[in-house]
Amino acid sequence: MGKIFDWIDAKFHVKAPHGGFLQRRLPEGLSYAYCLGGAAFTAYTILLFTGMLLSIYYVPSEHDAYSSILRIQHEVHLGWLIRGMHKWSATILIIFLIGHTLRVFISRAYRPPKELNWVVGVITMVSCFASGFTGYLLPWDQKAYWATEVGTSMAHTIPAIGTYVMYFVRGGIDVDGTTLIRFYSIHVHWLPLGMLALLWMHFHMIKRQGIKRPL
Amino acid sequence: MTPGRTAGTGPPEAAQHGKLGMERRDFLKILVQGILVLLSTLAAVTAAIFAYPARIRQKTVQFIDVSSEDELPGRGIKRVVYEESGRKSIVYLAREGDSYVAFSPVCTHLGCLVSYNRSQNRFLCPCHGGKYDASGRVIEGPPPLPLTRLPMKVEKGRVFVGFKV
Ligand code: HEM
Ligand code: FES
Repeated sequence: MGKIFDWIDAKFHVKAPHGGFLQRRLPEGLSYAYCLGGAAFTAYTILLFTGMLLSIYYVPSEHDAYSSILRIQHEVHLGWLIRGMHKWSATILIIFLIGHTLRVFISRAYRPPKELNWVVGVITMVSCFASGFTGYLLPWDQKAYWATEVGTSMAHTIPAIGTYVMYFVRGGIDVDGTTLIRFYSIHVHWLPLGMLALLWMHFHMIKRQGIKRPL
Repeated sequence: MTPGRTAGTGPPEAAQHGKLGMERRDFLKILVQGILVLLSTLAAVTAAIFAYPARIRQKTVQFIDVSSEDELPGRGIKRVVYEESGRKSIVYLAREGDSYVAFSPVCTHLGCLVSYNRSQNRFLCPCHGGKYDASGRVIEGPPPLPLTRLPMKVEKGRVFVGFKV
């Protein structure tokens, strides 16, 4: 393994510039709470991978969405496993994220010069919530439909522009096939790619700024 | 605090050689690499199993009830709309001598749906100008074969047409 990697690295030169990051000294007294960000990243990786697998069989159309979910669950080899992993990792990701945010907050690691990384973190967290919300519609069953009906109707309460925001989110007056396709697009293209960019910034800043010495 | 960029050597206590005659950090490195290789292999195998089709079977002919016997055309060609598992589809029933035939509307060129034009007595394909006569023979355009004749039968006053599903 090491030999193959070294051969590739001779062309790519990724190892040396990251040496300062991978081989750096960490402050003393770190606890497992400092692993929560890494744990969240692991959940994100699993979500990305299982999600790409699910997209092989899922059909984002009014007519076929629900039956394609049933097919994944009952017919596709290991479909139940991949679907279950996707669902559970989503829940676990949110739990890790809250824990990670609390850790950063309590250790006051959000203070300058790391304020931008806190901001990037918050945007990532909102993206995760949005992923959960858009993903919930995709099974296209009663629970999914009414959750989205209720969730999107909240936009309606924004003063003045609320109604238009709701139309924008739904792609029309009601939650229907148009909503399903736009949620699908957001869930599988826009958010995962956006989060990839956000996490790159997040890690790049950690690489530059290091981990804050525990209090 | 800036993380030490010089920290390639590790703290002194890590330099002890254990029973394996190996530094602690080298052991951990191999362990972590091993776990990564194991996990990615597992993920790749799982993905391959998942992506391999669960149902591989040849399509078989199934007869579908498309209309009642009374609606068979006395002469000429009739466009019949039928519903199968919630979807509307089309088939052309035609009188040919004493018997009937069912034409699939799928153009034999690239699969567009032809429509029967009564005044010209032709099946016209909207895509690349394919034309078929009333018995399905190609008279113009790129289609390589006549319109497909589907198996059909009349039973208990109903018309059944065989489709490959
Ligand atoms: C998918 C979401 C996220 C991932 C994968 C992630 C990952 C990480 C990782 C691996 C670290 C290194 C230290 C550690 O693990 O504790 C870190 C640090 C940090 N994260 Fe996140 N994070 C995420 C979301 C957030 C959120 C929601 C916030 C705040 C609202 C945030 C703010 C920060 C800050 C300020 C640091 C620097 C901490 C320090 O210097 O001690 N992150 N993140
Ligand atoms: S598909 Fe009918 S002519 Fe090309």
